[in-house]
Amino acid sequence: MTQHRIRFTLNGAAVDLTVPAERLLVDLLRDDLGKTGTKDGCSVGVCGLCTVQVDGAPMSACLLLATQIDGAAIRTVEGLASPLQEAFISEGGFQCGICTSGQLMAADALLRVKPKATDAEIRDWQMGNLCRCTGYYGIERAIFKARDER
Amino acid sequence: MTGPTILDRPERRLDGDEKTTGAAKYTADLEVPGALQAAFVRSPYPHARIVSVDTARARSLAGVRAVLTGADVRGQRLGRRLQDWPVLCWDRVLFVGDRVAAVAADTREIADDAVRLISVEYEELSPLLDMDEALRPDAPVLHPDGASYRFLEGRGERPAVPHPNHQGHVLETHGDVDAAFARAARTFEHEFATPRIHQAALEPRAAVVWVEGDRVRVVSTNKAPFNLRDQMAATLGLSKDRIVVDNGTIGGDFGGKGLSTDEFVLYHLAKATGRPVRVVTRYADELTTTNPRHASRIRLRTGVDADGRIVAHESHALFDGGAYAAGKPTARLLVEGGVETLEGYRVPAARHEAATVYTNQVPGGHMRAPGQPQNVFASESHLDLIARELGITPLELRRRNVARPGDPTTTGEPWHGPDLAALLDRAALDIDADRPRPGGRGIGFALGVRHVGRGSTTISLRLGRDGTIEARTGVGDQGGGQHTLIQRIVAATLGVDPVTVRVRRLSTEGPQDPGIGGSRVTPVHGGAALAAAQALKEKLGGRSVAEAAKALGTGEEIVVSAKFDATASDHGACAHAIEVAVDVDTGAVRVLAAVVAVDVGQVINPVGLRGQLEGGFVYGLGMALFEDLALEDGRVRAANLGDYKLPTIADVPPLRIVHLSDGHGVGPYGARSAGELVNPGVPAAVANAVQDACGSRVHTLPITAERVWNALPAPTRRPSGPVRS
Repeated sequence: MTQHRIRFTLNGAAVDLTVPAERLLVDLLRDDLGKTGTKDGCSVGVCGLCTVQVDGAPMSACLLLATQIDGAAIRTVEGLASPLQEAFISEGGFQCGICTSGQLMAADALLRVKPKATDAEIRDWQMGNLCRCTGYYGIERAIFKARDER
Repeated sequence: MTGPTILDRPERRLDGDEKTTGAAKYTADLEVPGALQAAFVRSPYPHARIVSVDTARARSLAGVRAVLTGADVRGQRLGRRLQDWPVLCWDRVLFVGDRVAAVAADTREIADDAVRLISVEYEELSPLLDMDEALRPDAPVLHPDGASYRFLEGRGERPAVPHPNHQGHVLETHGDVDAAFARAARTFEHEFATPRIHQAALEPRAAVVWVEGDRVRVVSTNKAPFNLRDQMAATLGLSKDRIVVDNGTIGGDFGGKGLSTDEFVLYHLAKATGRPVRVVTRYADELTTTNPRHASRIRLRTGVDADGRIVAHESHALFDGGAYAAGKPTARLLVEGGVETLEGYRVPAARHEAATVYTNQVPGGHMRAPGQPQNVFASESHLDLIARELGITPLELRRRNVARPGDPTTTGEPWHGPDLAALLDRAALDIDADRPRPGGRGIGFALGVRHVGRGSTTISLRLGRDGTIEARTGVGDQGGGQHTLIQRIVAATLGVDPVTVRVRRLSTEGPQDPGIGGSRVTPVHGGAALAAAQALKEKLGGRSVAEAAKALGTGEEIVVSAKFDATASDHGACAHAIEVAVDVDTGAVRVLAAVVAVDVGQVINPVGLRGQLEGGFVYGLGMALFEDLALEDGRVRAANLGDYKLPTIADVPPLRIVHLSDGHGVGPYGARSAGELVNPGVPAAVANAVQDACGSRVHTLPITAERVWNALPAPTRRPSGPVRS
């Protein structure tokens, strides 16, 4: 297997390392860099647990090769500081918490570019992030609240 | 601050910060230095004899540290009650996914490569894929040695069953059923079916096992660590006190994580290599090889008098248990919520026959209110069909028949629980049932009744000099808010700010605990928290917590411990009202609005409770409309979350939850359980609404457009295919 040098920023800090060609971003983050806030669920890009921001856009880290993020700015939940977090707590936006990092990173990506996103836009945007606990109502309330209190 | 004041205020969950910052450590997140990764060779056949297993090439692969086959663990079987599931198969495989060999290697990639290098020669046997086939008198017996299997917990023997391919079987009767049917003015019979569906906790199972001196250390996603410890001790022939089971944060359970199947072979791999061995289940393996909700077929017969009052009832329910009964913890090896149909109604005479059946399908297990969603889909659909035949409204039929205090219920026990008629009326009011609706729209009702769990546990409290209290418990928090519940009951009872109470979970080195499940935590752990707080209050002898803390010397603590045994009988209840729109050209169903009127007694965690009820509703909606873990020739077709359709945020309708309570729950402060209350009734309410909307009666879940369209009454159904003008 070939090795590749990649340079990127992770939550603002510069990272420079060499990875095997087939290394997935989710494994790089979790296993090599210890950022276990990003979860691995379905492994096929459907559930949204592994959602991270790549240059501000929400992406499934289980579908990205580490080599594809060379030069990018990566943000994970460990680098998040958003009113969304407190809103998820007060509005019941999580129970088991396994989908929460992904929900937060997706919602934050939307509100950064569209602070006044409509309810319908928020629902549409979060469709790629499954939750088995809340029935989504608490997640909606939390995102609406964070938007409204901006 | 008095007790109720604290409980009225919304809680701030104890795990809020760690779960919104990524700091919470789930089992797959734990760093285990030197850990090897495990992978398994699984059967591609639903039924086959293992002729040979060749591991030579795998063993010679660099980085492979151990390879085990069934021959290495011959005779060892695992399970929650009946231990019938081989740790690794040694002679036959009984479902697609059954394990034949295990590898421990330096990395997951090497372990996977090694698995591919193991060649297994099978002799295919004809599979039993159907329950009727399995129960034929001459059917091949899937477990010829079943009589020798271990049956855990020493409370009697495994109950006898009429056919060797039964896992469990029961016939329960109360009243003179035949005489009651003979008196009935009219009798109705209907049959219903539900598919396998999956718990689909989004965190896949994970575990790590290592041997430390004479201790076996286990960290697992299992939601009942003491039970896993006991199962491992029995299977592996170790004494219980040698095994210590701990949890990480648990990423959802929904019943599925009561069964662990990996930890047993991980122990053998850890012993063989002298290193920790871990596995994180791939989601495809979660969906295809772990214990989904049983597929069912339920036939109901009910006799009513001239006024539409139920006089007699009988049910025959078959549940496809798959290859092993290991996933069921119950003494009768049934999904108990499936036995007693027509719960919540006055039923003067009833006969219930229920059975779980061995087949060569993926083994069934427990899932949120085990057996009950199948039962309630059948019962509540059956009632609507009866109402239509009698020419009265489904709501009126229910009003006439709901159990009032002291009425005989379908079990023969007198009703003890909420005012069911009031819940139905409130749901009807809030959905605006009397409003005329345009064509293609309809409303449906269903009643949901769920027992409040029982059991016992111990919780201790330590008051320190800083005035804070630490509660110690053996129960984890899989998302239901268990730890916050304990915190708030302690705070309310002692009149302290909840932030001064923290909760620490102990491993199986702490006091015995039954774990999460069976609608147990609110009454059992909540009861223990209340008892412990009362014990502390007594010990303080009139002093406040702050005063007592100030009087403590450096390093001193006041410690109390309370064991609590919850024994009282009680039920939570809810009434569903759902409005749908059906497109009669396609059969597509859209849920427009839903109301759930609930009685769960005193609320302890307002935010958490709302989440349990809302989440339970959508859990039921998935079963109603989408979920089907379909098998073809014994193989699960929906092997990923793209194919196994879970509800998304776009699928959920406006939902209104209304609380009515008599305030008399048997739990702490009058609370009742909530987690398994809402999901069972949703599929029937949707099916009933669909029939109300377009006349189409769906007897089989999920309620797909195709099924709705096929069941449309002939005048409504328009030809499909290209329209010609």
